[in-house]
Amino acid sequence: MSESQRITLAVQRFHPEQDAEPRWQRYAVPYTPDMSVLEGLQYIKDHLDGSLTFRWSCRMAICGSCGCMIDGEPELACHVFLRDYAPGPVWVSALDHFPVQRDLVIDQSDFLEKLETVHAYLIPAGERTAAEGTYRQTPEQMTDYYAYAQCINCLLCYAACPQYGWHPDFVGPGALALLQRYNLDSRDAGSELRHAVVDAEQGVWSCTLVGHCSEVCPKGVDPARAINQNKPGSSARYLLDWLRPGRRRQEGSE
Amino acid sequence: MSRARVYRPTMRGWWERHPAYRRYLLREGSSVLLGLYALWLLAGLLALAAGEAAYQGWRDLHGSPWLFGLHLAALLAAAYHAVTWFRLLPLTLPVLRWRGRRPTDRAVVRGAWVVSVALSGGVWLYLLGGVR
Amino acid sequence: MRRSHEPPLWLLFGAGGLLAALLAPALILLTGVVMPVAAEHGIEVLDYHASRELFARPVVGVPVALALGLVLCHAAHRIYHTLRDLGIPAGRGTWWVCYGGAGVAGLLGVGAVVALWW
Repeated sequence: MSESQRITLAVQRFHPEQDAEPRWQRYAVPYTPDMSVLEGLQYIKDHLDGSLTFRWSCRMAICGSCGCMIDGEPELACHVFLRDYAPGPVWVSALDHFPVQRDLVIDQSDFLEKLETVHAYLIPAGERTAAEGTYRQTPEQMTDYYAYAQCINCLLCYAACPQYGWHPDFVGPGALALLQRYNLDSRDAGSELRHAVVDAEQGVWSCTLVGHCSEVCPKGVDPARAINQNKPGSSARYLLDWLRPGRRRQEGSE
Repeated sequence: MSRARVYRPTMRGWWERHPAYRRYLLREGSSVLLGLYALWLLAGLLALAAGEAAYQGWRDLHGSPWLFGLHLAALLAAAYHAVTWFRLLPLTLPVLRWRGRRPTDRAVVRGAWVVSVALSGGVWLYLLGGVR
Repeated sequence: MRRSHEPPLWLLFGAGGLLAALLAPALILLTGVVMPVAAEHGIEVLDYHASRELFARPVVGVPVALALGLVLCHAAHRIYHTLRDLGIPAGRGTWWVCYGGAGVAGLLGVGAVVALWW
């Protein structure tokens, strides 16, 4: 077999027990046209440097584990090919706007906590027995929320959001897209419960529609739309609650 | 598990990291020239109330090359504002339905441009009706 | 979570932005390009008497002044938030300069129309 080509991967390294701050380390990786950047990282770990730490699982852009910055762009490492970065070097670093724990591994706990606040599950109107049968939903009703249901929690949108970078208490594009996925599901009756998150300073109102989140999403979720289509309703609620004092004030902050 | 030190990245110079960020700042920045133009029109309104001499003075200033250039810059800014505003308009609308169908983004954008051209034409006719 | 007080500001920003998007290019073309170029050829566009007739009527003048105020609110909102986006510490003081300025300017405009009408 002929010699395969090589490409340099410049990978961000950070081992807190020995590094004061992150540094770049270069590796020469032999590659074939079918190799993803993830496979490049796996080659490094398997053959060149076993200490390289990164998350991965499905290798097919559905688990959302392998998100990182590649040449300054949030990408799923399994979703992009080394051949497209030739001649390199390919700059691989941890996702922007998150604390870096080790090499390419970021601390996701903030997102997971946010996810718990948005009631990302169906809240039905009432009790339903098996005898009543399943929910019925037309294909058209499903198109209302289908895009938002594609979210794989990969956090690329958070890496693309400067508002999240500045204000880590912003609920963020991914969690808000999931919130909207349930708001728009015809089987759900829980949107009122989610108002507190939507109407909050850290809810939709932290968003200034930079729009980069929707540009980087590998599943076409369009979180920018999910967030901003809530602004008119949130504004209407604000004005109505101002005209009817006492109604919302009791609820106050949660 | 022990609490290891984490590295927190900085937001300094974030706009240089991606062209999308620079485009965002350009879009936001277009409002500066738009605001200046609105203030300039306001000055014209105040001059109009002050009297013929003041108003004519305001009109005469438009002949100066630097003010003409500033207006051209404001025109570019206004055009960029309009293009980006209409492009983003579908994202800021709640879910709309007309006879059970939802309008496509392209329909919303096209509709907005039609309204813009129609209103602009109407305003031009109204204002130029006073051409002597 | 604290409820946001952005909505009324966002509505002002949106109204001003929509007005600007719909009309600003045509207006800037008219007053900034057509008016001076026409004047060089002896055609007077928006001269004193014509403008007085157009704007001295409150039913026209007041909405125009308010529209200018809204566009200034749009600019104020974007400028305030962009300063913060750039990491420049813009606090309450800046907030009042931006939105207060827009409000005062709008009121001045309405005042000018009332003065014209009287």
